[in-house]
Amino acid sequence: MELEFERVWLPYLYLYGVGGLIFFTGLIMVLKSPAYSHKRLKDRKWLGTLLFGYFWYAGMHGVGILAAIS
Amino acid sequence: MLPLLATLLSVPLQEGGEAASAAAMQAAAKAGGSPVFWGIVIGYFVIVLGFGGYFARFNRSTNDFFFGGRRFAWWLITMSIVATGVGSHSFLKYSSKAYEHGFSATMAYMNDWFFMPLFMFGWLPIIYYMRVRSIPEYFERRFNPGVRVLATISLLLYMLGYIGIGFVTMAKTLLPIVGPHLGLDLIQIVWIVAVVAGVYITFGGQTAVIFTDLLQGFILLFAGIVLFLLGLDFLGGFDAFWNALPDDFKLPLANFNDDPGFNFVGIFWQDAVAGSVGFLFMNQGLIMRFLACRSVSHGRKAAAFNVLFALPISAIAVANAGWIGRAITTTQPDLLPPETNPDSVFVHVTALLTSPAGFGFFVAAVTAALMSTVDTLINAVAAVTVNDIYRPWMKRKGVESNDKHMLRIAMMVSAGATIVGVFTAWLFSQFAQLYEAHAFFQANLTPPLVAAIFLGIFWQRFNSIGAVATLIGGAIFIVLGVKFPETLVAPFSHNIPLQDGKSYIYIGAFYNLVACFSIGILATFLSSKPSDKKLEGLTMWTVDKARHAFKGGTPNDRQGFKMPVRWEVHEELPDGAIVVDQETMEGLAAVEGDLIYICDKRWWLGGLRSTHGNLRGSHQHGEVAHVAADVAANGHFLAGKMVVLEKEM
Repeated sequence: MELEFERVWLPYLYLYGVGGLIFFTGLIMVLKSPAYSHKRLKDRKWLGTLLFGYFWYAGMHGVGILAAIS
Repeated sequence: MLPLLATLLSVPLQEGGEAASAAAMQAAAKAGGSPVFWGIVIGYFVIVLGFGGYFARFNRSTNDFFFGGRRFAWWLITMSIVATGVGSHSFLKYSSKAYEHGFSATMAYMNDWFFMPLFMFGWLPIIYYMRVRSIPEYFERRFNPGVRVLATISLLLYMLGYIGIGFVTMAKTLLPIVGPHLGLDLIQIVWIVAVVAGVYITFGGQTAVIFTDLLQGFILLFAGIVLFLLGLDFLGGFDAFWNALPDDFKLPLANFNDDPGFNFVGIFWQDAVAGSVGFLFMNQGLIMRFLACRSVSHGRKAAAFNVLFALPISAIAVANAGWIGRAITTTQPDLLPPETNPDSVFVHVTALLTSPAGFGFFVAAVTAALMSTVDTLINAVAAVTVNDIYRPWMKRKGVESNDKHMLRIAMMVSAGATIVGVFTAWLFSQFAQLYEAHAFFQANLTPPLVAAIFLGIFWQRFNSIGAVATLIGGAIFIVLGVKFPETLVAPFSHNIPLQDGKSYIYIGAFYNLVACFSIGILATFLSSKPSDKKLEGLTMWTVDKARHAFKGGTPNDRQGFKMPVRWEVHEELPDGAIVVDQETMEGLAAVEGDLIYICDKRWWLGGLRSTHGNLRGSHQHGEVAHVAADVAANGHFLAGKMVVLEKEM
């Protein structure tokens, strides 16, 4: 399919760039706050889940775009 | 599977999957005159009402009525959140945009993860451990009573707006079906819907709502996916469907900034930012769901499972009628003409693909879920009005009021909210499409509250003056932005053209958020710091104090196990007391004074028969829990049924 880069990838880069800035800023704030304790196993598991979620969605949208343009 | 579904729900198919029915619009109108259709619709409503009525028995106080008593498992709350989201305006709204723009209509369902860290570790523990029952209550505790009043007004406007959107959606669903027969217009149907909603509200409270949501959440997801399968079957398979869609339709994200009516960057700020924070942090219905969870951990599980797995499935369920509709328009325009009103695509496609009985099931599922959503919102308006306005007012007058009186007031407020909802419905009906109406409402109403809550939770320096400036000053700047978009909003517009040359629908949210945050930050720096007392447990930086306050002492973080035991009532024990043997105590990794969650052993009850208590020492009588009379009553435990004990925190 012939679509311009701006139509296909610019929204994706903006979503996971600006969205990523929000997400990772939030994550760093959590890690620096007393709400999170690395000693608590549950907290470490939730940290893993949060990171998984970001890449899960980035992957889903990426695969969706590749399927559309292939 | 497909032939079975086709037999049960759809129109008879001829060879090649072509429908023998007339065009889609006639099919919808024809169903409106079918006794089978109305029999299915009314039967469905009666079943759902009876289901909710059964669970209303589990209310013992206004605490149960409004909050469900902090007892439910994560999977119940997940389905309740799914039903709240999918069962609102989603089917009509997203099918409409999917018909016009394809897969990118799912954007709003697929951009909710960015604020999850701050929700899971910030807002959720704060509301749960500090027992914050409403947004206004948070504002009073974090700031002062004046800010609470402002927040209450903002929140009531927000919820009344959503009630109006619910009414418009129901009316738009029914218009193509009953309109041709009764000669009614949209607003006349809104009035009928509002009257039915008034009767429909069972006052069953939060427990009834959560269990009705469980039923409806499953039915809606099932119905949405079945509709997609029927559509694929109708078109002749997935390849035929895929090839019938224009190339641009297949992209999961919309054009960046070309189309003022639907563009990626505007929807990012309106939905992924303002909408996500609005949904996660200031939706009273959602707060009530999370307060009904058995623990913070279960609340996190509910939120994570919902966003990671339930929302992508829901996105397909609610939008696919639009995709199928577009494929039908491309291949068989005589069945669904290109000029079809996008807001009625869901109804027309469903009517085209199903028999009157199947169509009755789909329409009943969507309208009953909408009724539940409106019901929940009206319940939330009543909760805020009773707890944030009426109760404090009575307290100031020195009048003690009982639960029965409060419930009567809640019912009167509910009736008033229904009438106001009709008027907001009229306002929303002035927009060309439901999607635009909702987006414009969300972009312009949520930012002041979003900014004030956000700064309150995550910035300790933020004070009462900053909060007042955010709520009042922010609202003023938003009004100015709507009046003078080319001057104020254009610099934030990412070069999106004006809609009809006069307003921005989505990107206004970006300007509004910048204005509200800027005013709040500026006003805070120009005034003094808040006292430490105002921060304890109410910001992410002091949430450890919230855990302390919840426990009434130092939290015990030692990892324990769930312990199944028999139970018996000991009348001499003080309220809330639970006493267990030494071995059980060690298994729980608990000490005297710890909070204990006690639940019927049957997991599939989801916590319906459960409650909380305090561990008051140990006994020498084997693996049996001695519980106070009120613990047994609040838990609705059945004699002879085992319970499971679990240490909280």
